[in-house]
Amino acid sequence: MFETTKYEMGRRIRGTAVLTVGVSAYVAFIVWYFSLLDPSAYAQIAESLPPAMLDAFGMQSIGSIEGWLGGQIYTFLWLLGLGVYFAYASAGVIANDIESDRMDLLLSFPVSRRRLLTEKFASVLLPLVSLNVVVGAVTYGLVVAIGETIDPMHLAAAHLLSIPYLLVCAAIGLVLSVVVDRAAIAERAAIGLVFVLWLVESAVGAAEDFAWIQNLSPTHYYAPTPILVDGSYELIDAAILLAAFLGLLVVSQLLFQRRDI
Amino acid sequence: MATIEVKDFTKEFGSVRAVDSISFTVESGEVFGFLGPNGAGKTTTIRSLLGLLEPTAGTATVLGADVHDEDALIEAKRRIGYLPAHLGFDEEATGAEVLDYHESVKGGSRRDELLEIFTPPVERPIREYSTGNKRMLGIVQAFMHDPDLVIMDEPTSGLDPLKQEEFNEFARNECERGKTLFFSSHVLSEVRRVCDRVGILREGELVGLEDVETLLRQGGKRVRLQTTDDARTDLEAIEGALDVQTFAEGVQFIYTGEYNALLRELATHDVREIEISEPPLEDIFMHYYGATDAVESDREVRTDV
Repeated sequence: MFETTKYEMGRRIRGTAVLTVGVSAYVAFIVWYFSLLDPSAYAQIAESLPPAMLDAFGMQSIGSIEGWLGGQIYTFLWLLGLGVYFAYASAGVIANDIESDRMDLLLSFPVSRRRLLTEKFASVLLPLVSLNVVVGAVTYGLVVAIGETIDPMHLAAAHLLSIPYLLVCAAIGLVLSVVVDRAAIAERAAIGLVFVLWLVESAVGAAEDFAWIQNLSPTHYYAPTPILVDGSYELIDAAILLAAFLGLLVVSQLLFQRRDI
Repeated sequence: MATIEVKDFTKEFGSVRAVDSISFTVESGEVFGFLGPNGAGKTTTIRSLLGLLEPTAGTATVLGADVHDEDALIEAKRRIGYLPAHLGFDEEATGAEVLDYHESVKGGSRRDELLEIFTPPVERPIREYSTGNKRMLGIVQAFMHDPDLVIMDEPTSGLDPLKQEEFNEFARNECERGKTLFFSSHVLSEVRRVCDRVGILREGELVGLEDVETLLRQGGKRVRLQTTDDARTDLEAIEGALDVQTFAEGVQFIYTGEYNALLRELATHDVREIEISEPPLEDIFMHYYGATDAVESDREVRTDV
């Protein structure tokens, strides 16, 4: 059991390490930058901005360290950057192997297509979990180091609740990976789609007639800034994301089982 | 029960019919060659046997498992080795890492023994491999779990002649150990050395199913020689010479008759240069089955052999 996951995770170790170090370094820069700022000036700027923009960029309470991190790191890097990254990474999971003819060998194994797909996909849990654990810990350490305080439970919740969201982004990539024959196309489509979904949520937020469209975007169900600032979140949102993830996973399994390789 | 049984198998890609209603069986312990020019449908058939492609019509069973039935096929795959025509390995992984992975999934009781015959540099990353090294790694993974049936698509392509010879010898030994080998090739000389029986595929249709000896006897040899003008006319009339073509200084034909008769005849002429070789596969089709029309009318009978 899990031989494929083990092997595929082994192939992801270096990439995961580079990504984790890179993101941690960026967090360090942002936290250090905060220590140089006059927070009240930022709060004043924020007050002059339209509410829609504050929402889109997660800039509530920008003057506090929680609000600062929410706006600078979690809303952009985590929500958009990592969302796009995981969609991209899993868009290659199947399409790359089909394109390189490696899938021929993998499917000669005494393993069902469904299990092969699931095991291969499970390898993205390595970057997913290590990013959350390492960057979460680094962030907390750095915040304490510059003499600020942040509720560790809020920080942990922001990371924990990002997992269902990132899983949905990854599953979007996975479906494309199964449907599209060429890996480059699947990867670009996954990046584009997650970006558009993020944009849709941000853009239609203010237009009441089209507000329902927001419900289609996974970003609608994960708002890191309020979690960081006052620990507020809805468990139902996480449940919706998990359900969507499982739905997309099953769809990709069914499509993969039926297709010619 | 036959190891491989294909019945009225058809595969279409959109409007293109890649394989058209072919039927054949491969018995246990047999080395079966699947012969045909590129694009004839060999790979399509092989990939369908492994469940990679869904047949458009017809059925096939491998070690008793219906290719439509994923669960049954998974059980059968424990006893199947597969060497695809295009080997896709993780370029960044080393050969040893790939074999470790394969071993963890399907077993590798014969891995060390195989690595003594086929010698890819397993400690190096695969991106540094030559085509031949990749092929050897492919052969090792196909046989390492000691399967009962090994399906191979152009197994020796990319191997140097010495390794090809070793592979052929290895394949014969495997057959003596009771394994069933099914492999495709477009090189007749390879097939004749290794196989017991061949199926010939052309444009998606099975045009022949014969013992290798019968095929070769009737396939003949290609004789190409340079000689004087008079001799050319005489040689054209030799019994058993087919498809005679004359060119500037010589003549070329396919000879299907008895060798001594040919040599005796040649001895009476002034032969300046001679080359006797395996005829190209296309010529075998031509002469063994006659012209295209003859192939069509012959097919019904032949495929029932």
